[in-house]
Amino acid sequence: MEIVFSLAVGVMAGSGIYMLLRPRTFQVIMGLSLLAYAVNLFIFGMGRLRIGDAPVINPLRGSDPALYTDPVPQALVLTAIVIGFATTALFLVVLLASRGLNGTDHVDGREPDQE
Amino acid sequence: MTSWQHHLPILPVLIPLFAGAILLFSSETRRGPRAAIALCATLAQLLVALMLLGIADGRLASPWSGGIGVYALGNWAAPFGIVLVLDRLAAIMLTLTATLGLATLVYSLARWERAGIHYLPLFQFLLMGLNGAFLTGDLFNLFVFFEILLAASYGLVLHGSGPVRVKAGMHYIVVNLVASLLFLIAAALIYGVAGTLNMAELPQRVAMLGADERTLFKLGAVLLGIVFLVKAGAWPLNFWLPAAYGAAAAPVAGVFAILTKVGVYALLRFAVLLQGPGAPAPFGGDWLFYCGLATIASGTLGVLAAQKLDRLAGFLVIVSSGTLLAAFGFTGTTLTGPALFYLVSSVLGSAAFFMLIEMAERNRAPAADLLAISFEAFGLQDKHDSEHPDGMVGVAIPAAMAFLGLSFVSCALLLTGLPPLSGFFAKFALLAAAIAAPPDAPLLHTGLFIAALLLSGLAGVMSLSRLGMRVFWNTARSAPRLQWIEAGPVAGLVMICVALAVGAGPAMSYFNAAAQSLHDAPAYINAVLPGPQTGAKP
Amino acid sequence: MSLILIVLLPFFGSLCAASLPTNARNAEAWLAGVVALAATALVASLYPQVAAEGVLRLSIPWAPMLGLDFSLRMDGYAWLFALLVTGMGTLVVVYARYYMSPADPVPRFFSFFLAFMGSMLGVVLSGNLIQLAMFWELTSLASFMLIAYWHHRGDARRGARMALTVTGAGGLALFGGMLLLGHMAGSYDLDTVLASVGVIQGHPWYPVTLVLIALGALTKSAQFPFHFWLPHAMAAPTPVSAYLHSATMVKAGVFLLARLWPVLSGTDEWFWIIGGAGLCSLVIGGYLAIFQQDMKGVLAYSTISHLGLITLLLGMNSPLALVAAVFHIVNHATFKASLFMAAGIVDHETGTRNLQRLSGLYRAMPITATLAMVAAAAMAGVPLLNGFLSKEMFFAETIFLDRPEWQRTLLPLAATLAGMFSVAYSLRFIHQVFFGPPTDDLPHAPHEPTRWMLLPSALLVTACVLVGIFPAHTVGPYLRMATDSILGSDAPAYSLAVWHGLNLPLLMSVIALAGGTALYRLFLWRTLDTVPLIERIDGKLAFDWLQTALTSGADRIMRRLSSPRLQIQVLAIFMVALGGALLPVLKDGSSFGPRALTPADPAFVLLWLVGGVCAIAAAWQAKLHRLAALILSGGAGLATSLTFVWFSAPDLALTQLTVEVVTAVLILLGLRWLPRRDDRYTRGLPDSTRSHLRRLRDLVLAAACGLGLAGVTYAVLTRPDVDGSSPFYIEQALPLGGGLNVVNVILVDFRGFDTFGEIAVLAIVALTVFALLRRFRPAPESMPLPKQQREQDGADGIVAERVADTTARLPDGYLMLPAVLVRLLLPMAMLVSLFFLLRGHNAPGGGFVGGLILATAVILQYIVGGTVWVESHLRIHPLYWIAIGLLCAATAGASAWLTGQAFLTSLAWHGVLPLLGEIHLSSVLLFDIGVYMLVVGATVLMLVAIAHQSLRNHHRKTAPGGKP
Repeated sequence: MEIVFSLAVGVMAGSGIYMLLRPRTFQVIMGLSLLAYAVNLFIFGMGRLRIGDAPVINPLRGSDPALYTDPVPQALVLTAIVIGFATTALFLVVLLASRGLNGTDHVDGREPDQE
Repeated sequence: MTSWQHHLPILPVLIPLFAGAILLFSSETRRGPRAAIALCATLAQLLVALMLLGIADGRLASPWSGGIGVYALGNWAAPFGIVLVLDRLAAIMLTLTATLGLATLVYSLARWERAGIHYLPLFQFLLMGLNGAFLTGDLFNLFVFFEILLAASYGLVLHGSGPVRVKAGMHYIVVNLVASLLFLIAAALIYGVAGTLNMAELPQRVAMLGADERTLFKLGAVLLGIVFLVKAGAWPLNFWLPAAYGAAAAPVAGVFAILTKVGVYALLRFAVLLQGPGAPAPFGGDWLFYCGLATIASGTLGVLAAQKLDRLAGFLVIVSSGTLLAAFGFTGTTLTGPALFYLVSSVLGSAAFFMLIEMAERNRAPAADLLAISFEAFGLQDKHDSEHPDGMVGVAIPAAMAFLGLSFVSCALLLTGLPPLSGFFAKFALLAAAIAAPPDAPLLHTGLFIAALLLSGLAGVMSLSRLGMRVFWNTARSAPRLQWIEAGPVAGLVMICVALAVGAGPAMSYFNAAAQSLHDAPAYINAVLPGPQTGAKP
Repeated sequence: MSLILIVLLPFFGSLCAASLPTNARNAEAWLAGVVALAATALVASLYPQVAAEGVLRLSIPWAPMLGLDFSLRMDGYAWLFALLVTGMGTLVVVYARYYMSPADPVPRFFSFFLAFMGSMLGVVLSGNLIQLAMFWELTSLASFMLIAYWHHRGDARRGARMALTVTGAGGLALFGGMLLLGHMAGSYDLDTVLASVGVIQGHPWYPVTLVLIALGALTKSAQFPFHFWLPHAMAAPTPVSAYLHSATMVKAGVFLLARLWPVLSGTDEWFWIIGGAGLCSLVIGGYLAIFQQDMKGVLAYSTISHLGLITLLLGMNSPLALVAAVFHIVNHATFKASLFMAAGIVDHETGTRNLQRLSGLYRAMPITATLAMVAAAAMAGVPLLNGFLSKEMFFAETIFLDRPEWQRTLLPLAATLAGMFSVAYSLRFIHQVFFGPPTDDLPHAPHEPTRWMLLPSALLVTACVLVGIFPAHTVGPYLRMATDSILGSDAPAYSLAVWHGLNLPLLMSVIALAGGTALYRLFLWRTLDTVPLIERIDGKLAFDWLQTALTSGADRIMRRLSSPRLQIQVLAIFMVALGGALLPVLKDGSSFGPRALTPADPAFVLLWLVGGVCAIAAAWQAKLHRLAALILSGGAGLATSLTFVWFSAPDLALTQLTVEVVTAVLILLGLRWLPRRDDRYTRGLPDSTRSHLRRLRDLVLAAACGLGLAGVTYAVLTRPDVDGSSPFYIEQALPLGGGLNVVNVILVDFRGFDTFGEIAVLAIVALTVFALLRRFRPAPESMPLPKQQREQDGADGIVAERVADTTARLPDGYLMLPAVLVRLLLPMAMLVSLFFLLRGHNAPGGGFVGGLILATAVILQYIVGGTVWVESHLRIHPLYWIAIGLLCAATAGASAWLTGQAFLTSLAWHGVLPLLGEIHLSSVLLFDIGVYMLVVGATVLMLVAIAHQSLRNHHRKTAPGGKP
């Protein structure tokens, strides 16, 4: 399980970073969201992986910490998701504006001169 | 928790928030009231900051023992809740922010505020983010406040739109989004290994880590450091900076002068907390020192190469960041106090400079500029102007231009560290401290540091005089029309620097005190973690 | 007390001068004159005291912990210099009053003039090294401003910049030297430094310090090889040249050398550096002076030469030489200043300073001519004039030099040669201007100037003569006092007399006079336009070349070290991050932990096979097929949320899912504005090997980073849980937090401040999006309706553009049925979202999820119903929602203050109301409601803002000035 999880993080991060290094704005935004997934998973993983121990206190089980998975990373991920959402939206609009004003969707605001 | 002073530390975060929220209700067309709200909010922040400045130094009655104020949000004591920590350094940064905010706000009311919508709320939110970042004592909360100030800065850097701004803004945004993701990774990793996000508890946890965990922790810390270096505009992570600052509206660029210093500040905080054996690379001495030198070098080259004032200003910001990094990376802690002095004076100077050049560059005559450039390039010979007597009669300089010229010279003095303004004293203090450095400081470092500071100053003088002449002694250029609320802030900032120069004694002693209390990590930790008590509510 | 007055008075005067109106010529002159005279009087009045007490001190603490006090110190030497500065200043002010044209804006002139006087006095009287360096730079600045006074002239601007760059650089070097000196001596206080010779000359840093200080002094005194700036500074108005560039400022260098003579001199380094520079300047300056065409040019180079003489004397390491040096400083000031004034008069009256054009002015202006002749004679070292005396002493010193044989023979020869040169150029200066046939092709007809313009130079010439004839009775005591104050106990005995008997020095003078005359007679009748032998060597050209080279070179390097391209920057960041991350791993090494792995579940593996493929495919497709890429990345997102569910994080799954939806909608709305992407682009960019390599590089880097992150994840996953603060949260969630859903309790209570900030971020971004889209101008080719829509219109037989009928009860969109359903959906969605909001505290959900659900419902209305129709039927003011949300959250937090608790402290209220029965109110709920409202507001604002773009072209027709 852990191996799969780690690989998942790695694959998504890798493809995200590759996208970030591409010249087209849409590629960059894709990269950002992919990398964001990877990071969310990563943060989440910092609480270790447990199955069926959702940190919702079950009065029958009592509130022994050993019974539940670490809630803190989940809280962090939630914040991260929200902020990620906001920034994605922002970047989307900026790339639209850039495309509208500079007439291209190249990240440098102009088509690269043939090299 | 009863006396009202206890609640002072939260105000720098809340005042701008409320102001921003209220501003959302009023429509953009009602300029007067909006301006009034924004001004009041900023003034209130300045007031609070000044009180905190006094409290941290013990001049005003301090509700906290030991000079370090701790504000446990939600009444959850650290390490379980988030705490705001107020010491001299934080107070200094708050005051600086508020001062800068006030000046740039007043300036922007003249015209820039109308360049787009939602300027004032975004401005307030930026201040909120800055204040929070300076106050918070929690790693993840620091991230959140970074995001606040960044989000606001995105909005502000795009303020007024236009192709150039959007392009520069996009680069700025992408770089910072990447940095934020790195920040998340770092913070999460640190939590995953050390099990805490509280900055004061971190050192204790780290001390208990085993070898492998320590490595992972270091890895996280390195990433964290890199994030801060990106914010601070360290080479090679600063390519975006001159373009973004140059493209931003003048008052925005002015207030951005402190953004890079947020990175420096965070770096310093963590460097102090994580010091000791096996300090992670960006926080450990030599790495930081050489990184700072590289930054100074890149900035200096940019300064020499710059052909426009706004780019020049951007590179000067880089130079000042580099100077700070190098100073903090220098062996021993004796340079911290002077470095803080330098930080304040350079921030004020560059802010004034950004606003100033915008005023001076209005109704410019590009043709004349080209002429000027070719003049320099070929050093055209026009011997014996004395042959035509009209060359022997001076040209009067209009009052507006005279004012701008004077302020320009003052800013130039500030930024290059020439006497008699505070920039000189800051550099003098830095150099003197470096020369009198502890014996274990390699002589090479001292030499490099001195050379870097003096040479970067010289480069500044050369470029500033070159470009300044083009702008101010260009007879083909008509004098701009100035408004008081534009000229005022610039003059005010310069005046503050004059005051810092005259009062170099008391100022320096405060900065030194701040440095000492900063480097006294145990005091910080004890203040935040009062013994092994649970976060139970009283 | 009067010490500080001496320094402050000029600065005060400068402020007043600056504030006077542009045309207040006489007022300015009076002001400056009075100030200068007063300063002179003050200095003079201090003579008895100085003579009696030796040293006057005044110290005001400034920045003690920096070892920097504002301290003034006047000994004999400083007194002499101060008198020189102030006295000369007075004379020059009188001269300038008549020199400057009535049309000149003199306030600027006099204000900088006085500022310079103040800074120069500061240099002279400083009792503290740092303070000295400070005033030193100020003199450079003032001189910059004064040289560029006629800033509309190119030569003035360039000359000023050259002067500033050279002397400024020197000033910085000096600053560094002073720092080292002060460190070695243990204090920046001049007295302490002067007292600690042994320490300093024994210190390993002595050579560096010497070099730095020498750099400062030599640049300031225009000594070889930094001499080139002085001739170009002649673009300044002549009073400035007379005052700054002959009498005072250029003397600051030699002043400093003499000031620090006791500590620094006496070593070989000193002899070679200072003496060498002095000798070169003496000879080269003299040689160049002969060939100048501009009167002021001649004087400039002769100044270089004479300063070289002084520097050489100082470099000789002998007390007598020092005496000669100080003496010559004074003499040179007197005769050179008067010569400059003469040159200025000629320039003023004839309109030119060109030696080739001028001739035979004697008849027209005899007085000027006479004065100039006497002064020039002094410069040439003719007996019975002051120049002669100090030159004699100089010759004597060269003979009795205590050095190896060859140096002792070489030096006198060089000295004599230089003497010949100075005779030659003095002769040429006088002869060509005042004698020979009178010319008439001058800009103005020459005539004597007003008496007042002659007075200053007359006074100076008188001084030359008096000192020349009665040295012992005029300058004697003052000189003695000055040299004593420098040398202290080991001051030598010397006699100032015109006649020392027939001796070698006298012979040298005779040779110099005869030789110089011969030189002029033989070679220089017709003046040459170029300088023989060394015409190629031109400091200015070198300087200009250096400047441009520096700029362009820096530019070239910058292109290497930095890049305006985003990709490079991002690449740099990831490389640094990767490198930095590898660092500790490689240094300390790391291994994976012992924790037992949870058995892999095939379903999960499958899930991630799909997820991974999705991610990679998305990366692969993003360039050409955006929609596909979007869907694929959506798949990856889905896998992520499923993973959350799998590993017991329902909240995350819920949130991730809703965010997925909203983001997808956003991007879909945006897609339309992106340019069509077809193989045109792939053809447009030839896939050169370079671009292939670039992709490969990126691929490798990305893979490395991904692998690294995976490794780190695994390394952490295989470690035992950390005993962090999480147990506390789980234990206390119910008792203290009053909620079962620990994550939610953390979000709204334990770490509520994070959430507080997070919603602020959301609000800010929404505002930014809104503001930015206000100015949005879509690219022209994406303006017309999309293809599908046009086809649909065609099918419906609609030719004109579809304009929504806002009165209809149902949108007449393309999708009638869904519209009905969606309208029914809205209230349901509202209920659902509220349900999630309220249950959040005890079960997965919360304000954020609830908000997103409602927002999604609203945007569905837009999608199906069409913007215009929806907005005509349901008005929501997202901005207000945002503001209210923020205020709600903030108020919920601040409500704690009522009970004196800290911000965000949760208040709960249990009570029994009639009818309703027991009820539980908590500020936490209010907080969550704030979150909810803000999320709704922000999300809707963003979505709507983007959705509205598609209306732009319609708006222009139908609803002008509609919302964004």
